[in-house]
Amino acid sequence: MNISIVRYLLGQILKIEAILLLFPCIVAFIFREKQGLCFLIVSAVSALLGILLAAKKPKNNVFYLKEGCVTTASSWIILSLVGCLPFYISREIPSFTNALFETVSGFTTTGASILSDIESLSKCMLFWRSFTHWIGGMGVLVFLLAIAPMAGGSNMNLMKAESTGPSVGKLVPKVRTTARILYLLYLILTIVQFLFLILGNVPVFDSICIALGTAGTGGYSIKNDGFASYSPYCIWVTGIFMVLFGVNFNFYYLFLYKKIKKALQMEEVRTYFTIILVSVLIICIFNIGNYTSFVEGLMHSFFQVASIITTTGFASIDFDQWEQVPKLILLALMFVGGCAGSTAGGIKVSRIIIFVKTVFKELLSYIHPKSIKKIQLDHKPIEHEVIRATNVYLIIFILIFLISLFFISFENKDFTTNFSAIAATLNNIGPGLSMVGPMCNFDHFSIFSKYVMIFDMLAGRLELFPLLLLFHPALWKEYFSSRKGTI
Amino acid sequence: MLDFMTSFTVGSQSKHGLKIIIVGAGSVGSTLVEQLVKEGHNITLIDQNPESLHSITNLYDIMGIVGNGASYSVQLEAGIKDTDLLIAVTNSDELNLLCCTVAKQVANCNAIARVRTPDYNEESNYLREKLGLVMVMNPEFEAAKEAARVLYLPTALEVNSFAHGQAEIIKFKVPEYNVLEGKPIYSLSRDYPQCKILICAVERNGDVYIPSGDFVIHTGDVLSFVSTRQNAKLFLDQIGFNTKQVKNTIIIGGGKAAYYLAQQLLNMGIDVKIIERNMKRCEELSILLPNAIIINGDGSDTELLKEEGIEFAESFVPLTGTDTENIMLTLYAKQISNAKVITKINRSTFKNVIAKLDLGSVVYPEQITSEAIIKYVRAKKNSYNSNIQTLYHMFDSRIEAIEFLVEKESPATGIPLMELTLKKNLLISFINRNGKIIIPNGQDCIQIGDTVMIVTSHTGFKDLEDILE
Repeated sequence: MNISIVRYLLGQILKIEAILLLFPCIVAFIFREKQGLCFLIVSAVSALLGILLAAKKPKNNVFYLKEGCVTTASSWIILSLVGCLPFYISREIPSFTNALFETVSGFTTTGASILSDIESLSKCMLFWRSFTHWIGGMGVLVFLLAIAPMAGGSNMNLMKAESTGPSVGKLVPKVRTTARILYLLYLILTIVQFLFLILGNVPVFDSICIALGTAGTGGYSIKNDGFASYSPYCIWVTGIFMVLFGVNFNFYYLFLYKKIKKALQMEEVRTYFTIILVSVLIICIFNIGNYTSFVEGLMHSFFQVASIITTTGFASIDFDQWEQVPKLILLALMFVGGCAGSTAGGIKVSRIIIFVKTVFKELLSYIHPKSIKKIQLDHKPIEHEVIRATNVYLIIFILIFLISLFFISFENKDFTTNFSAIAATLNNIGPGLSMVGPMCNFDHFSIFSKYVMIFDMLAGRLELFPLLLLFHPALWKEYFSSRKGTI
Repeated sequence: MLDFMTSFTVGSQSKHGLKIIIVGAGSVGSTLVEQLVKEGHNITLIDQNPESLHSITNLYDIMGIVGNGASYSVQLEAGIKDTDLLIAVTNSDELNLLCCTVAKQVANCNAIARVRTPDYNEESNYLREKLGLVMVMNPEFEAAKEAARVLYLPTALEVNSFAHGQAEIIKFKVPEYNVLEGKPIYSLSRDYPQCKILICAVERNGDVYIPSGDFVIHTGDVLSFVSTRQNAKLFLDQIGFNTKQVKNTIIIGGGKAAYYLAQQLLNMGIDVKIIERNMKRCEELSILLPNAIIINGDGSDTELLKEEGIEFAESFVPLTGTDTENIMLTLYAKQISNAKVITKINRSTFKNVIAKLDLGSVVYPEQITSEAIIKYVRAKKNSYNSNIQTLYHMFDSRIEAIEFLVEKESPATGIPLMELTLKKNLLISFINRNGKIIIPNGQDCIQIGDTVMIVTSHTGFKDLEDILE
């Protein structure tokens, strides 16, 4: 394994984080908060570490998918470790585990919080929480690809490891241009949402934080009661933008390049919207009696569906109080997730489509044992390797889910709490049901359970494989044997 | 595609026929040679394989050249400079197109290319225009179209369309105890006044007649009639036939024709099952036709056919590359099921045997190709007052159905039909006037701008005037 390129890239990531940590300093400066100093210190430390790690340029620039995965997994861990320091050293979150949980939850766009009184945090901390969503949404390595020139075509392996979905394609021939287009689309959509919120008389600071949280499909709110105190206009705007950020970004690219027909024919996007529509309708029917007007019921149903399927996790209402069927639908939507190539988490609609089609193919093979059927998506055949990887993904997903559930069950909490807590963290949603419902938090879990969930959040965001690869003995065996060779 | 007509540059026309180069001595090449020699043209055949070339030059009075038909020097050797028409029918689409392009560039020669790959089929009009070809033909596609028309009306043995699909010639067999039995033809218009149809040919005991009004219909006769599509359904309905399209079909063999047919049938809402031997081709088909069921297996395996429900299938179309296999499958299907069967025959060598086998509907892709080319060649030879729009060979080429476009005044125009002295064994089937199909009686007359369809047992008609004695 080419460890020097991994080290070099980690250094670059730390440098980027040092710059990103300066943004909360600006906020602290505006609001005259002395906590800004913590960010300044951490930024300096991060920059120093980064410069040290990236000082020596690697001779060998080539890296393969395994290096891509290792870089991605380790950089997300380091990113979180450094990112949690401001919370910790400012004593706003006194426990290190809690600070790390909060930061991982931010970067992985989960939005599960351990804070019971969010509003007591200083503005710069609140901003940093939301900002981590935005950074984690599109991915920091994609950002690195967008700004740093890298030799060779192997940098696609970085993108593959960090981007969401069963198969990652490029929009344009060059990875760097692709990454730039993605970030540009991301930035533009975020700014548009910010402007819409400003037009609705939402305070500027709130607008920024909401827009950042929505864009990354994160879900950190800066209010204790989530969205309950915002105007219906704000709820509608955020709901719509959540749905938009859950769409495959290729869709916007095609839209931009006037291939509207092709964009509208994307099977995944169509299925995604169909799922949203059907879910909203069913929940709406159940909610008719619970709200004063139909529009209000529709608004809350839509907002919650959008929030859960895109794995954002904002709440305009305590949906834990809803009836069983709507709650079950929301729980199911947690696993569906958004589209591939979006900032959303979950299993992803395209994988669900592949699963369903595989099931039908298997059933067909019972009726016509010798039949041949290629599974297609958007009228293009899906390669066998992708289908296999998708099926394995599901198996790993279920395994991790069950093992995590087993570990946190030791605390003897009720099943709904445990199940939905793992569902909410592994799918990067945020709130679950019962004791981890939208109006509750994760603080009551033990330190051990929190680390389990930290692992789940990272695994969910990186789509399992890169993180698991980091723990695969064969990889390290290869690394140590190659080192012996060089010495 | 086939009813396309173009203005052409008049080359050196000898009195005895045109000078034609054919590239490719395959089965289509040899059928073309046979047909075109019969019509009296001078043929030069080019092929890279001396053996297949010799087998044809030994049979017909033509010249053969061994070489690559796309090569400039070979074309010069074949006399491209004073050739009227080049027809490229090798196995490779790309080579065919290249042959035609070279011929076009070297001698501005009229060129016809056979292009069968689905990739090019959708853009064949574009290719034709950009490369300056007079015709791009796709026999597999046309054969599939013909098969699809029959499955749309499964009682028919054969359905051929005229006047851009507005009129059809439909062939069917009179079954036992049918209401038509014992009826003279003149009584049909009396008994079924709302359906305007015209019986234009009858086959009985191997002989083909163009019937007059007092011809009496018997059980076992194969009738061909002309009418509009709606009227045809109405008529068949009234004489007690089922006129619903089939609901499902089993296709054996996954070649190009199978792909084209499946595509059309799926568009018509018919369930399609394709059985193909080659695993790789199966995968390709499954990508091309996501809504069809593709079975990997031997189509002549009767157990597999039974498992796939041949006994309950509504239609069955063997489209393998081997005629014998197609025929055996057809006979097998006829034995164990009530399915409507369409057989594809590639080589017309055993036509007489096949005619006696009672296979039902038969499609000859080669015949479709030669029909199209002969239509073009005949039209090219004339400088007359009318132009051939469509040409079909019916009843094993014993009868021709030709649609003429009347462009100028002639002895046949402007005079009521009853006053014209027509040749024997000839019938004016319909007149298409501004898109309206007229089944003519004695008072109607042919006008300029009409298209006129005639059915005749004479061959070689090039102009509407030929119908006059």
